[in-house]
Amino acid sequence: MTRKEILKNIQEKFKKDIIDVFDKHPKRVYIEIKPGSIVKIAGYMFKELGTRFNIATGVDLREHMEILYHFTDEDINLLISLRVKLPKDKLEIDSLAPVFEGANWIEREMHELLGITFKGHPDMRRLLLPDEWPEGVYPLRADYEEWDEKAIRDRGL
Amino acid sequence: MSFKLKALLKSPWVFHLSTGSCNNCDIEILDCLTPRFDIERFGMLLAPSIKHADVLLVTGSCNRKSAERLKRLYEQAPKPCLVVAIGECSLSRGMFIHSYNCPVPLDKIIPVDVYIPGCPPKPEAIIAGVVKLIEKVKSGK
Amino acid sequence: MIYVLYLLFFGFFLTAAVGLFASWIDRKVTARVQYRVGPPVLQPLIDIIKLLGKETLVPAGASKTTFLLAPVLGLGSVILVSTLLWVNDINVGQGFMGDIIVALYLLTIPSISIIIGGFASANPLASLGASREMKLILGYELPFVLAMLVPVIKAGYSIRIGDILLFQARSGVIAGNPSGILALVVALMCVQAKLALVPFDIPEAETEISGGALIEYSGAGLAVYRLMKNMLLFTLPFFLIILFMGGLRFDGIHLLYGVLKYVGLVALITVIRNTNPRVRIDQAVKFFWGPMTVIAAIAVVLAFKGL
Repeated sequence: MTRKEILKNIQEKFKKDIIDVFDKHPKRVYIEIKPGSIVKIAGYMFKELGTRFNIATGVDLREHMEILYHFTDEDINLLISLRVKLPKDKLEIDSLAPVFEGANWIEREMHELLGITFKGHPDMRRLLLPDEWPEGVYPLRADYEEWDEKAIRDRGL
Repeated sequence: MSFKLKALLKSPWVFHLSTGSCNNCDIEILDCLTPRFDIERFGMLLAPSIKHADVLLVTGSCNRKSAERLKRLYEQAPKPCLVVAIGECSLSRGMFIHSYNCPVPLDKIIPVDVYIPGCPPKPEAIIAGVVKLIEKVKSGK
Repeated sequence: MIYVLYLLFFGFFLTAAVGLFASWIDRKVTARVQYRVGPPVLQPLIDIIKLLGKETLVPAGASKTTFLLAPVLGLGSVILVSTLLWVNDINVGQGFMGDIIVALYLLTIPSISIIIGGFASANPLASLGASREMKLILGYELPFVLAMLVPVIKAGYSIRIGDILLFQARSGVIAGNPSGILALVVALMCVQAKLALVPFDIPEAETEISGGALIEYSGAGLAVYRLMKNMLLFTLPFFLIILFMGGLRFDGIHLLYGVLKYVGLVALITVIRNTNPRVRIDQAVKFFWGPMTVIAAIAVVLAFKGL
C-alpha cells in the first residue's frame, strides 16, 4: 500500500480517536490519539497494516507526560509515531504487552524510570535500576532530586 | 626493586574490564594488540581469566550495578596487581558526573595506579601511559 | 645414583630448557607470520618466574588437595617420560621390554591432570573445558595407538624402543617407507591435539570459555601447568623422532641432522597452528575417528605386507 493509502485508511477507520495528524516529512508522520484507544490502533497497525513496532519513548514535559509509539513500514520508508498525552495527576494507560511481545521490556523501563502505570502488564519488575534503589523515586522526571548522600558530585579540585 | 616486581614488569598479563562504557575505549585497547602497535614484544598477553591477570585495564564510568561486581573482581585478582584507568569516563565519570546512576568516581572503589585521559585515548597515549606506569613502579613502590 | 642424575639432568633440566626455547620459536614465528615483532628470547622463562611470585588462590568450593596436586601429577609424569626417552636414546641397551607401552600410558597423564584440575575447581566453565578435553582424548587416542603400531610391526613385532632404534640404524628410517609416512602424518595430527594447539585447542586457553579448565588457577599452580605444557612441546616431537626418524645421535654430522629434524617438526606444528581456525569438538572427534583412523589402518596393513 502506498503512503497516501495508509494514512487515508487510518484516518477513516479511527476518525473519533484521532486528535491531530502532523505530516512532517515524506518519511515521518506524527498522529496524536486519545489515550484510551491505543490498544485498538496499535493492534490494527501491527496486524492489518503489517508495520513493525520499533520502540516507544517517554518524556516528561512541564504540564503533561508524553509517550510516542514508533511503527515502521520499511517497504515504503515510512515511520509513523503515535503520540499519547497523559495528565500528570493520572499517569495510567493500557499496556500493549498482550498485543505483541515487543512492548514488554520498554514498558517496564518506562514504569521504573518515569513512573507511568501500565494496566494489564503481565510482569512488572525492575529492569535497569539496581535492587537497592528506593521505591517511588523516578530518575527521569523533571523534579528528580539527589537522594543519595554518599554521592560525590564535584571533580575534587 | 624486588625480584617479584622485576619479573612482573617484564611479563604483565593484561585483563580488560568494561564497567558500562560506550565501548570506544575498548576498541582502542584492542587496537594496541594489532600488528601496528604490537604490545606482545613487551611480553603483554591478553589474559582470559581474572586469576591470570597482572594489570587491570578499566574503562567506563562505574554505575551502581557494576560497582559491586568490580569490587569482587578486584579482590579475585592475585596480588600484586596494578590498575590502569583508561578514558575520561573512568577518571572522574566525564560527562556523566551528574547522572543518577554513577554516584562515585572509580578511585573511590578500587585503588588506581595510572590514569590515561582521552575520549578515547589514542593507542600511542595508552602505550605512553603504560610506560609511565613501568617507570613509576621501578622508581619506588 | 646414576638414575637420579639422569632424572634430574636429562629428564628435567634439559627437557625444560629445550622446551622453553621451542615455545619461544613458536611465538616468534607466529609473530613474524602476522607481520609483528615477537617477544624476546627469555620470555617463556620470565612468564613462569613471574607466576611463581604471585599469590595462589584456592576457590571456596574446591577440594583443596586435588586442586593443588593435579599440576604436580602432570609435571611428574612428563619428567618420567622424558627420562625414559632420553635413556633409550643415549644408551640403547638400557631400555626394558614393554617400555613403549609405558611411554604411551605416561603420555596420557598430562591431559588427565588437566581434566582433574578442571573438575576440582568448583566452576561450571572449568567443568565444561575439562569435559571437552575428555572428549578430545577419546578422539585422538585411537589413531595415535594405530600409528604407533607401524614401527612396532616393522621392527619385528618387538615392544622395546631400543629394538626400534636398532632397526632404524640398520635399515634406514621408518619414515622412508610408505607406511611410515602415513603413520607419521597421523601421529603429527594427534600430537597437535595432545598439545592443545590450534586447530584443536578446544579445551583450554580459549576466549569462549575464558580459559577453560585453567580458569581458577593462579600463581604456582598455573606456573607448573605452563611448564608442563612447554616440556611436552619437547617430549612429544622427541617421541616421534625416536619412533619414526631414527632418534637423535650426537656424533659428528648427525648432531646437525638431529637438530634439523626437531626444528622441522616444531616448524610444522607452528605452521599448522597459524593457518587454521579452531574447530568444534564434534568436528574434531569426527576428524579423528573418520579420515585419521582410516589412514592409520591403511598404514598398518601396508606395514604387515612389508612396505
